[in-house]
Amino acid sequence: MWIYIIRKMFSTVPIIFGVALIIFVLFNMVGGDPTYQMLGKHANPKLIAEIRHEYGFDQPKYIQFFEYLKQIATFDYGRSYATRQRISEMISNGIAPSLSLAIPAFFLGTLLAISISLLVAYYRGKWIDKVFVFGCVFGMSLPSLAYILFGQYFLAYKKGWFPISGYETTWPDRLEYLLMPMFIWIAVSLGYDVRFFRTAILEETNQDYVRTARAKGLNEPRVFFKHVLKNSMVPIITNVVIEIPLLILGSFLLESFFGIPGLGSITIDAVHNSDFPVIKAMSTLISLLFILGNMVTDILYTLVDPRVSLE
Amino acid sequence: MAKNLIQKNAFFLILTLGTSLLFSGCTFKSKIEPPNTLHLFSIAKIKGLDPIYADDLYSGTEVARVYEGLLQYHYLKRPYVLIPNLSESMPEISPDGKTLTFQIKKGVLFQDNSCFKATQGKGRELKAEDFVYSFKLYADPKLTSSSWWLFDGKILGLNEWRDAAIKADTSDYSLPIEGLKALDHYTLQIKLKQRSTQFLFSLAMPNTAVVPREAAEHYGKEFINHPVGTGPFRLEEYNPSSKLIWIKNPTYRKEYYPSEGEPGDKANGLLEDAGKELPLADQIAVTIHVETQPQWLNFLAGKLDFSSIPKDNFATAITASKELNSELTQKGIKLIKSPSAEVTHETFNMADPLIGKNKLLRQALSLAHNQEKINELFYNFRSINAQGPIPPGLSGYDPLIRNPYRIYNLEKAKELLAKAGYPGGKGLPPIEYLNTADSTARQFAEFTQKSFSEIGVTLKVSTSSWPEFQGAIKNKKGQMWGFAWLADYPDAENFLQLFYSKNASPGPNDSNYSNPDFDKLYEKSLTLTDNPERTEIYKKMVKILVEDSPWIFGAHRITYTLTHPWIKNLKPNDFEHSKAKYYRVDPTLKPGNKK
Amino acid sequence: MDSYDRLKKDKTGIYCLYIVVFYLLVAVLAKIGWIATPWDKTVGKGYEPPSFISLELWLGTDIFGRSVFYKVIHGTRIAMSVGLVSALMSTPIGIVLGALAGYFGGWVDELVVWFYTTVSSIPNIILLIAITYVLGKGLTSIYFALGVTAWIGLARVIRGEFIKHKTREYVLAAESLGASHFSKIFKHILPNVFHFVIINLSIQFMSAIKAEVILSFLGLGVQGQPSWGVMIDDAKMELARGVWWQLAGASIAMFFVILALNILGDALRDSLDPKIK
Repeated sequence: MWIYIIRKMFSTVPIIFGVALIIFVLFNMVGGDPTYQMLGKHANPKLIAEIRHEYGFDQPKYIQFFEYLKQIATFDYGRSYATRQRISEMISNGIAPSLSLAIPAFFLGTLLAISISLLVAYYRGKWIDKVFVFGCVFGMSLPSLAYILFGQYFLAYKKGWFPISGYETTWPDRLEYLLMPMFIWIAVSLGYDVRFFRTAILEETNQDYVRTARAKGLNEPRVFFKHVLKNSMVPIITNVVIEIPLLILGSFLLESFFGIPGLGSITIDAVHNSDFPVIKAMSTLISLLFILGNMVTDILYTLVDPRVSLE
Repeated sequence: MAKNLIQKNAFFLILTLGTSLLFSGCTFKSKIEPPNTLHLFSIAKIKGLDPIYADDLYSGTEVARVYEGLLQYHYLKRPYVLIPNLSESMPEISPDGKTLTFQIKKGVLFQDNSCFKATQGKGRELKAEDFVYSFKLYADPKLTSSSWWLFDGKILGLNEWRDAAIKADTSDYSLPIEGLKALDHYTLQIKLKQRSTQFLFSLAMPNTAVVPREAAEHYGKEFINHPVGTGPFRLEEYNPSSKLIWIKNPTYRKEYYPSEGEPGDKANGLLEDAGKELPLADQIAVTIHVETQPQWLNFLAGKLDFSSIPKDNFATAITASKELNSELTQKGIKLIKSPSAEVTHETFNMADPLIGKNKLLRQALSLAHNQEKINELFYNFRSINAQGPIPPGLSGYDPLIRNPYRIYNLEKAKELLAKAGYPGGKGLPPIEYLNTADSTARQFAEFTQKSFSEIGVTLKVSTSSWPEFQGAIKNKKGQMWGFAWLADYPDAENFLQLFYSKNASPGPNDSNYSNPDFDKLYEKSLTLTDNPERTEIYKKMVKILVEDSPWIFGAHRITYTLTHPWIKNLKPNDFEHSKAKYYRVDPTLKPGNKK
Repeated sequence: MDSYDRLKKDKTGIYCLYIVVFYLLVAVLAKIGWIATPWDKTVGKGYEPPSFISLELWLGTDIFGRSVFYKVIHGTRIAMSVGLVSALMSTPIGIVLGALAGYFGGWVDELVVWFYTTVSSIPNIILLIAITYVLGKGLTSIYFALGVTAWIGLARVIRGEFIKHKTREYVLAAESLGASHFSKIFKHILPNVFHFVIINLSIQFMSAIKAEVILSFLGLGVQGQPSWGVMIDDAKMELARGVWWQLAGASIAMFFVILALNILGDALRDSLDPKIK
């Protein structure tokens, strides 16, 4: 197991390098120039040259790329061009808001999706199945922007059930602000999850061993919960864990409309402002988490399914 | 089986927990606000709380709550007048206009902060030397201040100090500067390279405020998050992308609400607090609203004290007679109108070989651009059509001048287009129109595209992010783009400098306009103070611009501010950033917890 | 056509297929200019509410007094083209890379896996924005951005299937008969895993339509043409004044096609996937 983990760790190096290369080419070679942004409306050629020198934009590209690789190794990305904040601080300040929306929404949503998909898979083909699946697909077919605009105007402003927007750093004050975005998140994501989980469970019900079990005379609930559920966990876990790293990005749409100061809106701002250090930091962070997530999935497989080994 | 049960139980547990919190969530708040709390908002994220970087309106407004400069604008009087702030009185100016001597107020304290180690965290008294130090910060090449343009070429010896610092790759704050001296602890002498009426205005801007050396050195790069000033409020909570909380500074000097204003202020209740000690509010909560809808709804719900009217909500808020509709009046919401010192425009790139060399073409496009329609669609008629660059309220603005190319006249436009060599638009390649990526900008571009198509001119819109957009303009690319210029200070010079050839891109003269006659007049106007002779020169300059049409002059917009009844002493002011110290909340007028 | 018969039995699935075909038809007709032309004509005052006076005013007007109904129809054209072109772009990439990696294994596999892991490690939204910045704004770069980011899922599935199939008897038999790599990949294995491509196509189509809305919200959407994304983006400023028809028009148009694609995707999978009966 440890050997596996260490080997996996080393296999991340080329991936991180690849990510760095793509990000560098996209943003540093061909993307916008942050100089004018920094100087505001009163720039002149002398000042531009000075600021470019001060930030090292006048260095050859390969040196800039090398600097970037050094930053990845030390995980010190310096400061944002746009806000002049230390990036490590921006990220650590943004993680809590992002996650306090994403984690409850994600886990509630996943639990709900698993529960519903078990229900509909058990009653596959019956009306319960059709109604629930249709309902979930209905939810995911509307654009999330429509949910946000409608929710804020009608549920929050007209009905007063929720605050319109806002965020508090302290619990439990924070909770009331997170409820509506959380519900929207779940409504948008539920359909996808339910359909996926349902398929995963159904595929398992059609396996030979299930038929054998039935033929042996095991009653249906027992077959379903004992065998089917356990084995269908493999694709379900894969799907769930693969999404976790992206949770940290939160949802920039929800964040910018509900005023939640999370990483999603930080990232989008950075892209809009050609704020290269922030973009670099966020992409590296996410890819690291992504790779980590893959590793965790592999390890979980061995726990769920003894047939899988990590060699 | 067991696993599933646990999952289900956990799920119901969370669900019940969630619902119970939903209904009890409002009852237990851990923080209690004083009743006299202002609820303000910013439509942009805050770029930091260091005055040397506070060059945008939103960061400047926040910075001005905690930092102060030598001068300020009178809150109520119009036209705008400068009055002393940290200076005891207006500066003594030498006959040649080049030497300014300021007496600094005595007994002004910096806010308590752990950076003052000598006094165990007690804020020390402000001295003239602090200004000398602070102005060097603005000039320090290492810090790349965005406010340097305010000082660039103005103060004797400061540019030389900066150049030496660039050369040595380190800034030596101990080096004396000829034009910047503390004669004693309370006397500051500034020597200018040449007479400049505009320099005084810059001393009232938040990005020339004074900072204590202890704090700047103690916090270093983190100074941007730890403001230590002399101002009326001190920072309590700070999240640059969602919220700021300011509380009243207990060690604030004695400053009082003005007891005179312009006619009408008394009737509007703006003098009720005359002579009272500032700041009037105990706390300010500033929330950041990047999206319009939540901001507007929060205002309607009473969570924000005042708001402007979003473009698309105008018709619901204001009746045909430009007054408030009954729904809002019933809530006690009041409307304040004020013209703002700005001009919107479509810029032609004069450096472009096609559009820059063809005056008739520019005039034709100007004639085809239907300003009335824009006013209706985008400004809901709350704007004055601009005839030239200078907005009303500034000397040099001529209410009688009529720009012959700013009348919507398609016939004339077609005629000029033909004269320009492109009858019916034939032979004219599509004009490259630069644009930013937001929704309103997109609608504007669509409108311009539509207008020009009427005379057979096609517009190729190319959209980009703000930095790219600016980059293109500063590199003299593109042929046309829309912009609005907000005055930095109440002097028409701020608008006319936009056409001075030496300010061409990457300077503020985006249109890269160059006309020796105009330049001569501009240079002459700089040597004059605000007098009829200068006003005459300004008018001549405007005439040249009208004929050359480097811009399609747009509108001077009128700001409509909606206020709830409980907020007092609100008066729009385009130049003073520290307005919140005059505001007050009357808690008795606030509807009780409406939850 | 065993699977087609099975699909035919699924009534809902067939209806959904009709809906998608209907949308495509509308898109084609709008493209030719037979319906809803011109969309940018002023048909009334700004923000006129929906009324049944005429077809043009059926969904009211936008800020410039243009027919929202016409804009929805032209939005369909944009949405369908975005879905179709990006799917056509990403599918061959996904098939070829997935097939090569799965079939050859070894360093080819490692290279392909490295490549798609790398690309998928970068948050999709950053990649999309970056590509539209690099290529400039407009429909072409949206096609391209969605096309080059969306092949990963397919490549991963195809690779997995190829690994499974390449040791199956029918492949080994073909090999013993002297079939080339090319013919084994494309003539023998690919047809057996092609149902994944079809299923992926419907998912791809759907996510492309949704991504267009997000890109428009970020100001990177279609320029100078009405798309659902641009309309919904406009609505964020209009809704508080009671102008709900742009939002409703675009959302509902989008709703039905996404719904249909979803259910169709399920139906396709059920009928094409030999494992599920």
